[in-house]
This record gives sequence, C-alpha cells and structure tokens, in this order.
Amino acid sequence: MSHHPESSPPVYAERNYLNTPATGLKSWLFTLDHKRIGVMFLVAALIFFAVGGLFAMLIRLELLTPGPTVMDAMTYNRMFTLHGVVMIFLFMIPAIPSGFGNFLVPIMVGAKDVAFPRLNLLSFYVYLLGAVIALGGMIYGGADTGWTFYTPYSTTTTTKVVPILLGAFILGFSSILTGLNFIVTVHTLRAPGITWNKLPLFVWSIYATSIIQILATPVLGMTLLLVAIENAFGWGIFDPARGGDPVLFQHFFWFYSHPAVYIMILPAMAVISEVVCAFSRKNIFGYKAVAYSSLGIAFVGFFTWGHHLFTSGQSAFNAGVFGVLTMFVGIFTAIKVFNWVATMYKGSIDFKTPFIYFIGFLFFLFFGGMTGVALGTVSLDIHWQDTYFVVAHFHFIMVGSTIMAFLAALHYWWPLMTGRMYNERWGLVGATLVVSGFVFTFLPQFLLGNEGMPRRYYNYPERFQALNVASTAGASVLGIGFLIILVYLLVALRHGRIAGTNPWGSRGYEWLTTSPPPFENFDVVPAFERGPHEYHQLPAPGAPGAPGAGHA
Amino acid sequence: MHSAVAHHFESLEKQGQAQRLGMWLFLATEVLLFTALFAAYGVYRYLYTEAFAQASRGLETWLGGVNTFVLVTSSFTVAMGLDAIVKGKNRRTALLFGLSILMGCVFMVLKGIEYRHHFLHAELPGQFYGGPIAGSGGSMFFALYFLITGLHAFHVVVGMTVLGVIGARAWMGKYDAQYHVPVELAGLYWHLVDLIWIFVFPLIYLI
Amino acid sequence: MSEHSSAAAATAHSHAGRYLVVWAALMALTALTWGLSTVHVTGFGGVALALGIATVKGTLVALFFMHLWDQPGPNRLVLVTSLIFVALLIALPLLDNATRFPLANPPDAETAPQRIRDAILNDAPPPATAHPAPAHP
Repeated sequence: MSHHPESSPPVYAERNYLNTPATGLKSWLFTLDHKRIGVMFLVAALIFFAVGGLFAMLIRLELLTPGPTVMDAMTYNRMFTLHGVVMIFLFMIPAIPSGFGNFLVPIMVGAKDVAFPRLNLLSFYVYLLGAVIALGGMIYGGADTGWTFYTPYSTTTTTKVVPILLGAFILGFSSILTGLNFIVTVHTLRAPGITWNKLPLFVWSIYATSIIQILATPVLGMTLLLVAIENAFGWGIFDPARGGDPVLFQHFFWFYSHPAVYIMILPAMAVISEVVCAFSRKNIFGYKAVAYSSLGIAFVGFFTWGHHLFTSGQSAFNAGVFGVLTMFVGIFTAIKVFNWVATMYKGSIDFKTPFIYFIGFLFFLFFGGMTGVALGTVSLDIHWQDTYFVVAHFHFIMVGSTIMAFLAALHYWWPLMTGRMYNERWGLVGATLVVSGFVFTFLPQFLLGNEGMPRRYYNYPERFQALNVASTAGASVLGIGFLIILVYLLVALRHGRIAGTNPWGSRGYEWLTTSPPPFENFDVVPAFERGPHEYHQLPAPGAPGAPGAGHA
Repeated sequence: MHSAVAHHFESLEKQGQAQRLGMWLFLATEVLLFTALFAAYGVYRYLYTEAFAQASRGLETWLGGVNTFVLVTSSFTVAMGLDAIVKGKNRRTALLFGLSILMGCVFMVLKGIEYRHHFLHAELPGQFYGGPIAGSGGSMFFALYFLITGLHAFHVVVGMTVLGVIGARAWMGKYDAQYHVPVELAGLYWHLVDLIWIFVFPLIYLI
Repeated sequence: MSEHSSAAAATAHSHAGRYLVVWAALMALTALTWGLSTVHVTGFGGVALALGIATVKGTLVALFFMHLWDQPGPNRLVLVTSLIFVALLIALPLLDNATRFPLANPPDAETAPQRIRDAILNDAPPPATAHPAPAHP
C-alpha cells in the first residue's frame, strides 16, 4: 500500500457520535442513534460470545478423557445446551446484522438513521430481556435438550426448558424488529444517487438476511410456544402418545433454523464482499451476481430444511426432494466464492489483519460447504447423521465462517467506529492463532465423526481419545487467540494511533464520513456519484476515499 | 414541514411510505405465525380426516357463521373510518372505530359462549379431552381448535386496543385529512385479523 | 414499479362506495360458503370449494380494505412473498406425511393399517405380525 508522506496527519473527528449529543450513561441507554445501538449490540454480543466460549472450553476439557473429567454427565448435557443456545441466539444471529448492520447500513445508504429508531432501541432491550430470561432459566436449573429442543424429549424432560424456550421466543422479536427496520430503511431512506444497483454489497446481503428474519422467525416463535405448552400442559401436538407427530416439530423447527444458518452466513458474506474489495484494491468482480446471489441464497435456503430429517422418519420421497433442493444452495454460494476469488485476481493485495480473516473465511466456507454437499446426499448422511462429522461441518461453515467475517468486520471497521487503529502486528498474531486454532479444533472432529463418534455424548471409547485431545488442544490455541485480540483491542480503544478519515483507502460509502462518524453520519451528505466498489479511478491523495489518507 | 415528520425523513409522504411498508412487513410475520398452526392443522387433518370431520360437525356452526358476519362488518366500519378521516371528519372516524370495537366485543362474547360449551362437555385439548371421539383425532382437533381460535382471539383483543387508542386520538383531533397514517395502519391490523378469520371459519367449522 | 409514487394520494379521495360493494360481496360469499357446507360436498371437492371461496374473500379484503389495489409495489410484494412461504410450510410437511411409510406416522393415524389402529383403539397388544414385518412388501 502506497504511503503519502505529503498528506496531512490523520485527524480524530472531535465532534462525533460518541460525544454528541451527550456522553453520560443515560444518553447511551436511551439513545435512538443507530450507531450507538449498533455498538451496544456488539458489546452485548461479545460478552455472550465470551460466555458461550467459556462453555465450549469446558466441554472440550470434559472430552479430554473418556468418562468423567471435570463435570458429571448432567452438567455436561446442560453445558452443551447452554453453549448452543448462547452462541446461536445471543451471538451469531444478532452479532453482524444487529451490531455492524445497525452501525453501517444507514451510513452506507446515506441516511441519518434507520427508518424506525424507537423500534431499533426496543429491539436491543427485547434482546436483553430474552437473554436474561434464557440465562435465568439456565441458572435456575438449565435444560439438557440441546439447542434444538427436539420433541418428545423436550416435552417430557424435567429440566427447566420452558424459560429457555420463552427466552428464545422473545429473542425472535428482536430479530424481527431489526430485520423490518433494515428493509424499510433500504427501501425508503436511500440518499439521492444511491440506486439499487449502486447499493453496497454489504447492504444487499443484510437486506437478504432481513427477509429471512421476517419470514422464518415467526414460525420458530410459534413452534417454541407449542413445545412450551406441550411441556407445561400436555396438549399433545407433538406427542405420539396423544396422536402427535414429533417429526412435525422437526419440520417447523428447521423451517426456521435452516434459514437461520443463512441469517448467520449472509451477513458474513456481506462483510467479506466489502473486505475483499478494500484489500485487493480492485472492483468487485460481477457486482450483480454477488448482489442477486444473496437473494438467491435467502430464497433457496427455505427449500432445504428437510435435509435435517433424513433419518428422523421423514418419507423417503421427501428426503429425495430435499436432498436435491439442498444442492441449489451450493450453486449460489459458489457464485459468490468464484467472484471473490476473481476479485483478488491481479489485485494489489494488502495483507492486513482483515484479509487474513478473509482467507480463513474462504477456507472454512469452502471446506464446510463441500462437506455440506456431502451431508446433503441422503445415502452419505445416513452414515454421518448425529456424529461429530456434522458437528465439525456446521462449526466450519456456520461458526468458522461467521466468526472469521465478524473478526474481519471488527478490524476493518474498528477505525471507523472508534477513530483509532489497533496494533497491526498483534492483529496478525491473533488472526493466525484464531484461524489455525479453529482448524485444529474441528479437523479432528471430522475424523472422529467419520469413525462413528456420536455428537453430544459424555463418554467415548479409548480409541477416540487421541483425536479428542487434538481437538481440545486446538480449542486452547483458539482461546488464546481470542484473548490476545481482546487485549490489544482494549488497548487500542485508549492508546491506539489516530486513524483519521479512511485509513484503508477504501472506496466504500461508509468511509466518506469522518472517523468516528458525526451524530447524523455526514456533516455534508456526499453526492454518491460513483459506485461503492470502484477502485479503477482513485481520488487525489488525502481526500476522503484516497489510498493512504491518514497514513502519515 | 408537518410536525409529525421525524428528523431523518425528508417529507411526510416518505415517512408514511416507510410506515406502511413496515406495517406490511409486520403483517407478513403475523401471517407466518398463524401458518405454523395452519400447517399443523393440515397435517393432522390428513392423518385424522374422519375424526376431524366428526369433531367439526359437533361445533355450533351458527356461532362461527354469525361471528364471520360480525367481523366482516367490523372490517367494513373500520374502512369507513379511514374514509371519514380522509375527508377530515375525525369524530366520525372515532365513532366508526368505536362501533368496530363494539363488534369485536360481540365476537369475543360469542367466542366465550362457545368456549364455555366446550369446557362443559370436556371437549378440551390433549390429556384433558373427554369427548366422544375415539382415538387421538378428537383431542388433536380441539388442541388445534383452541390454539388457532385462541391466538386469533388474542389478536382481536390487541386489535380492539389499537382501535381504541387510535380512535381516541382521532376524537382528540390528532389526525386530519393530510396526516392520518396511524388510522390507516390500525385499520390494516384489524383487516388482517378479519382476513385470518376468513380462513379459520371454513377450516374449523365447515369442512 | 416506482415506490416513490404516493400511496397517500391514492387514499386521498373517498372510497366509500367501493367499501360498501366489497362488504356486500363478503357477506354474500360468507352466506354462500355456509350454505354450501350444509349440502355436505364431501372429500377434496368440499375442501377446495370452501378454501376457494375463502381465498376470494381474502383477496377482496387485501385488495380493497387493505388498499393493495392502489399501493406501491413493495407492499404487494411483501404479501405475495409471504404467501409463497405459507404454501411451502403447509405443503412440504403434508407431502411428508402423505408419502411416509404408514407405520412412521403416529400410531393411531387413519393412514395406518386398519388392524393396528383397531388394536390401539381397543387397547389390546398389536398383532404379532405387525411388529417385525412391514405391512407392504
């Protein structure tokens, strides 16, 4: 990346959203500013991520040896349930859309705020309420059903599953409110000059995510309510003893929860589309293909839920239908992967921390995606169903990819959000540890699953121990990586170098404003004459959008 | 600029557009919420066709029918309420909304009579079922019956509350011929409640 | 379709006459579907008829009471899109139960073989042959 010693030193925008209109705690708790709400979502999601990560470490510690290691079997069951619920409902679903999406979408469409700022704040508090109820249920007794709450076990278990169901039900409202807000914002608040075909790819992907949130979440809400009613009153909707069909629960649950995977991965793809352009210093390859394939994934993602039911008693005919439909997701995902790779081709690649995460993302998405295509094949799934192969697969594609994108976003937009730079050297160390730690945690689990180790088991035969130890070792590396990131980011918050406007020389619309952005996003709303990913015409050094502006 | 325009909207018209789209998106979530129950109804009606037909014949069809007439008419009065505010007649809007709420009450009373009847005859969901139909079909029908009509009744109550608040504000003159988006949105919600009942009626009572 | 066209303008003039006609049609259709149900059209025909009439009524409400007739594209698109997923969520689980191996449905479902249902309804142990051998070859 070229440096321009002649450009003026980077400036910290003194009047920004962090101190305008006020700085007190109350001004944050009652704020209607989308940027502050986004930051609050991020902080909350990161705290829950730490909690979920702690449970993950305890699970890996327990699986270090066969038999009891650090906890009894019941605690272990509660632990993996809690790990799943916290990571999925409290971290992965809200982290990128509600966190980064809230911060960035209005800026990227040139608006002052989201369409309904009060609903936006409500969404945050609903999220907190759901989290408190779910975690309260965990402290009060916990559940041992796993995050999937499969009937008939979830309707007969004596553990405290009802508060956790209600917590997840309430969290759904938060998801719906945020999705609704984004769709309306994109439709009605785009600044003059930003047409649909000049919408940043981040916004396209978040828009597609919002559609899923709107259409799928209510079904989960109803389903969880039905399970709670069944658990509390025994109405028999899913109880075979009263004529109910437990497989119907799985249909309903996965009608939400399979698209929910795309609620997690589409925002990740949103981040990646921005990062790959900024650090390859090249126009996105095939803008329309990348934009529309987001909608394609959102749409097709609804037609595949039955591949979770191949061995559950679903009809062979349905299994065949769902198996074929599942493959279509691969097409749209592949379109994106090809386009990202083509974007890098002959680009002027800048190997900064976010780019490392992009590479990690590509690897996890590709490896996880290919194993997903394998799992979507009915005959192969019969062998792998409910083994660690599935665990490793979804941790690669859903968790790995999402966390890579989340960390890429955190580093890429850190200067914009805080006005300061993190330490690049430590950034590279952290990124390397996280990517390699993740690979070493889950690669052994593919092998374990293929050899037949079932998921969610407390105990296992001796011959599986070596791979379990390898996995736990990988998890430790991963944990250390996260700790390093936490430390240097906290340091950067106070002592980081001043970033100045657009330190990456990115062409994204969000970098047209100062870092950190002012209260209503732009002091002067730009004309948005060029597209959001156009790198072929670079502006004069030092101007917003210039390469190396702020890199004195 | 009208005082109702929020700082981040360029005009009242744009804001109204956003609010309408937001309302439609919310209504879509409501539709999907009910769909889970309709899907369960579809599956169990397929599995217990005879039992469902028998249970449905045991219902008081006239109560469902009269309720349909009541709800459709209340939807009409709500629509007329919007028409009144478009012409600037805010008090007439309030009165028409009040009339709609009254019909909502009639609906709820008839529903209550029906529920009481079911309680007396132990036509209840799941483990509480004591009705005449052998096997699981009867209890399953009544589980779905109470879930669908119960969720719908809940929406009727919410809708009456919304109509009440908006009607009261219309009476106080908060809306006029230029600005009446909340009246429109309250109407949309009530029409959706009506729309869902239009499908509930044949599914539960007629087939 | 341009979303910048004003929906407010569309509701600016009176629709009272239109509302009245729609209301009359809804009342008539309700009476019709109620009346037809007393004739007992059985099986699939009856279901299709009742749901067909309900769909017509629903369309009238959505188009005229809810003003989709003169509203901009996105609002219509929202309802249409949601209906696609309504169809999906109803159709695919139903297709599953309809094409399942009969014994994978709930035990006393009417799709199960009659002798097994009889056994369950009479609270007797199921016939010995039913357990190991499937009902169909």
